[in-house]
Amino acid sequence: MAVALRILHWACRIVLGGIFLYSGYFKLQSPLQFAAAIAGYKLVPNSFIMPLADYLPWVEIALGALLLSGWKIRYVSIGASALLLAFIAILTVTYIRGIDADCGCFGFGDKISPRTIARDVLILLPAIFLAAEERLKNSATNYTNRTK
Amino acid sequence: MFVALLLLLASALPASGVAADQSCEQCLGGAPDAPIKIEVFSDFQCPACRELYMDTMKLVLRDYCSLDKVCVIYHEFPLQGHPYSREAARYSLAAQKLGRLQWTAVVDSLYANQAVWSDKGTVQAAVARALSPDDFQKVLKLIQDPSINGTIERDIALGQKRDVQSTPTFFITALGREQKVVGGLPYNVLKEFFDRIVK
Repeated sequence: MAVALRILHWACRIVLGGIFLYSGYFKLQSPLQFAAAIAGYKLVPNSFIMPLADYLPWVEIALGALLLSGWKIRYVSIGASALLLAFIAILTVTYIRGIDADCGCFGFGDKISPRTIARDVLILLPAIFLAAEERLKNSATNYTNRTK
Repeated sequence: MFVALLLLLASALPASGVAADQSCEQCLGGAPDAPIKIEVFSDFQCPACRELYMDTMKLVLRDYCSLDKVCVIYHEFPLQGHPYSREAARYSLAAQKLGRLQWTAVVDSLYANQAVWSDKGTVQAAVARALSPDDFQKVLKLIQDPSINGTIERDIALGQKRDVQSTPTFFITALGREQKVVGGLPYNVLKEFFDRIVK
């Protein structure tokens, strides 16, 4: 059980960290393109669009690097979960409003759809696992002790 | 790992992409040596291109190109599904040969009346409305020039070389860095970007 959890822990860190690094790196290549995607959501005031396009990729890169380094992993995972939840909420609201916008997540021309929302939910799972890992371990230990 | 990460990030920051032809015969506004250059690949019949021109580029032309802070270059990229866009591009290029004033007037008219001529194919009427009778007659002669089709083909080839897959797509070059943008961008966002570079 402990070995399986350890493997899962590393897999989640590597996958999630890699995704955040790639996503941030991609957005850094053209902050204006990312700004165009944010503008497409029609949710953010114009004055916030460029600052978001400038700084959000760095936040993603920092989260990716911290996830890979393992430093304060629980808090970093909570941060990653919060960011992913915000993305999911924004994508869902934009989709429900019927706006034909680009996701701007990992590539351009990727329109917001149930598929892009489901993809973000899938990415959220390892982040939630890492954030709740200690509790899961404690629960597992308690269960093992009780059944002994 | 972190050194590799930093190297990767550093590679994301400098310019990437193919530098375009620096000649400015297709410069719709601004000086060729302006600190910011925008190259737009556009289709006259595409509604998003109309939106980009009417809501963003016209304001860029007014506020930045007139002060030579930004140079806007338009490349023709007529899409196959739009039956009249190549004809519109030919008229636009013919007007370009008369001068920037006439060219801008034709581009303005074509985008402003897009819904009308796109529907009935009355491109010529939209062009006639934008020019004096004399200039219109000159455009009717110039449009026969086979080099106009050559320019369109060159623009399309340039777009394909730069991986333009849809319209509008534009490239902004500033501070030695080129950024590709697919789709529209509100003027206020672009203005904030410009004002960091040229006040």
